[in-house]
Amino acid sequence: MAVPGRASWVQPAVTGRAEEDQEARFARLFEEFSAPIYNYVLRMVSDADRAADITQDTFIKAYRKLDTVTDAAATRSWLYRIATNTAIDDMRRRRMVSPMRDDEPVFANRPDPRPGPEAEVMAGTLDERIQRALMTLRPNHRQCLLLSDLEDMSAMQIGEVMGLSYAAVRTLLCRARGEMRRALAAEGLAR
Amino acid sequence: MTFDRDRHTPFEELISASLHGDLTADERNRLDAHLDTCATCRATLAAFSDQRRIMSGLRHMPVPRDIGARVRAGIEQEQSARPWWKRPPAIFAGVGGGLAVVAGALLAIVLLNNNPNDRDVGQASPTPSLPAASVSATAVPTLAPLSTPAPTQPPASVAPSISAEPAPTATPVEASPEPDGYLAVTGPPDNQVMTVTDAATREPLAEAPAAVPIAAELSPDGQWVAYIVDVGTGSGFTEIRATRITEGLSSDESGAPTPIDSPVAVGETITLAESVGGTPFVEHLFWSSDSQYLAFTAVSRDGGGTDVWIFEPSRGTASRATDTGTAYAGSWVPGDTETSLLWISTAGETPDSYLRMFHDDAGAIGVADPEDSEFPAAINVFQPILSPNGALVIYWTGGMDRSEGELEWTFSAQGGPWLAVNEQAGERGYEFVDSRQLFSDVFLDREAFTSAAIRWSPDSDAFAVWGAAWEGIPQGSETLYPDPARIYLGRATRSGHITIDTALDVGDLPPDATVVDVKIAGTGRHLAITARHPLGGTLSVPEADLLLVTRNLGKLADEVDSLAPNDGRWYGPAFYSETDWAELIGD
Repeated sequence: MAVPGRASWVQPAVTGRAEEDQEARFARLFEEFSAPIYNYVLRMVSDADRAADITQDTFIKAYRKLDTVTDAAATRSWLYRIATNTAIDDMRRRRMVSPMRDDEPVFANRPDPRPGPEAEVMAGTLDERIQRALMTLRPNHRQCLLLSDLEDMSAMQIGEVMGLSYAAVRTLLCRARGEMRRALAAEGLAR
Repeated sequence: MTFDRDRHTPFEELISASLHGDLTADERNRLDAHLDTCATCRATLAAFSDQRRIMSGLRHMPVPRDIGARVRAGIEQEQSARPWWKRPPAIFAGVGGGLAVVAGALLAIVLLNNNPNDRDVGQASPTPSLPAASVSATAVPTLAPLSTPAPTQPPASVAPSISAEPAPTATPVEASPEPDGYLAVTGPPDNQVMTVTDAATREPLAEAPAAVPIAAELSPDGQWVAYIVDVGTGSGFTEIRATRITEGLSSDESGAPTPIDSPVAVGETITLAESVGGTPFVEHLFWSSDSQYLAFTAVSRDGGGTDVWIFEPSRGTASRATDTGTAYAGSWVPGDTETSLLWISTAGETPDSYLRMFHDDAGAIGVADPEDSEFPAAINVFQPILSPNGALVIYWTGGMDRSEGELEWTFSAQGGPWLAVNEQAGERGYEFVDSRQLFSDVFLDREAFTSAAIRWSPDSDAFAVWGAAWEGIPQGSETLYPDPARIYLGRATRSGHITIDTALDVGDLPPDATVVDVKIAGTGRHLAITARHPLGGTLSVPEADLLLVTRNLGKLADEVDSLAPNDGRWYGPAFYSETDWAELIGD
């Protein structure tokens, strides 16, 4: 049964057993994660077209490397890592980020917080304000906050996605929450 | 202030971590104890909890509906740029498993083995009579030109530096799904006329005497449509004809070659040879890539067997090129130089194939024994059909048979089509390497495909097989397989083979229809199919639909459109142009 909001995957006519397994595995991966990945990326870049492009690239890369992932439990983190890196690459190309060091001033290279065309896809006032707040965060703060609160990942899982230690994730997440608290307050959404 | 922040910071981390339950028991106790006494941190806990609630309430945006198609397109595009033998092993384990053994074993067989009368490997090789410079490979940039090594060099050390990678696929993005033209037989039953028709306008480009066309190929330069017609219902007699429909594209600054002039005027039709209908092996027309030659097989009506004929548009005539009575035309080796190489196969208990060289300025074509080739024979190889870019080849191998009274040879034990990489191999001509059975799930032992029709897509990747005559026990448990009524599609860069699952949907064709001809668009997923209806009675006229099938993968049904009027007349076969069709026909 089709799940609303999920993209459907048209499985190609495959031939050999191994290829069939590979295609079936990829089809399952796509069915399960295309929507979450797209939403995660959308919140990262705040642009529907770019989010679609990054999602597309993510799954193409995943297809290419699917045979390298043998641990089913690690598949989710692996896929989010691809999406995260692809989104970072995209943002770098667009000069939205500078090297992400925590000791940098928070507002250096900060993207324009004013709502742009992307606001059109973020229908609803509350959504717009949250998204505006999110976009004031440094990208790595935004990533870990989204992975934690949108994707409900543990610090360990976030570490796998972002390539950070457990302790580093906890520190980063705390700073991201503090930063987001201020940003939400600026939007009138936090105490 | 600084003191306060430093005092709260460690607990802020614990508060943040607590939202996920990422605390040890000790940390939990420390945090609880601190919260009991610290209003600031309680406010932080409340703020972070609110924040998490707010974040989790973000709207879930729907994924663009085309994302799956985009991903699939991206994967296919990436794969099409990679030869199958370089694809990730896991994806190809199915191919590389059992078949690898077979393919490896067959490789030894299908290599263009030395002619028994020729030198052994390692012995001195005679220099081919043609200088290497006359055979370049400009149309196939990934293949090195034929080399003419010094006679004293052993073959192993003179193997040319080659790249087996296929040339990039032929403009798949720009390829049109619809064919540019088709043949049609229309008019009242007592006054029918055959036309070469522009598919877009359905206006005739040229008229020809009425007959039922069963095969058609447009010359690469767009000047000629060559076709095979049934000349009398029930007689089995056929004719090979050619109609000149344009003058070709004029030469311009872009360096386009000068169009081949012909004594035959635009609009004229000439009969190239008389023949007898039979297997798909004799119903295949092969244009050389420079449009200088058309090769075809004609079956003698008086029992003289099969021979190869060559039509030269520049002369406006066709000449018999063999007289052995067992020769069949294969495809030309792509190239656009003054010399053309044609594969000619000889049928027998086991077939062989030979390369014959034709020189554009060498005068009229004469009869020659295919075995008198300056290249070694391809032992147990029959009717090699090269992909348009010359990188891949589909050929037949196995035992052959001809019943008494039969005009044609067909395959018997272990006969079937194979797919391979076409590699240039110095003075040995070409080698077919990495061979794999085209129908990977059919076991060829004593059983065989006796014949089948095969066409490549212009993208040199997709291919279609139909009319697959399987003489063995059906291999499908629920459906007839291999089914001569079905069309099977494959992609060389995807899996490189056909299975029961790669058949076109049953519902794509009208019930009781017989597939006469299939053309694949350069898109690789659109097919122009000529489907013949059964005759309604002795007074009825032959009727065929020309259908455009858009191939959808998986469980999504194919889309089928009619390319011609549905008026009970004959439409098809279709053809796709390799050049600017509108400019070609003067639109």
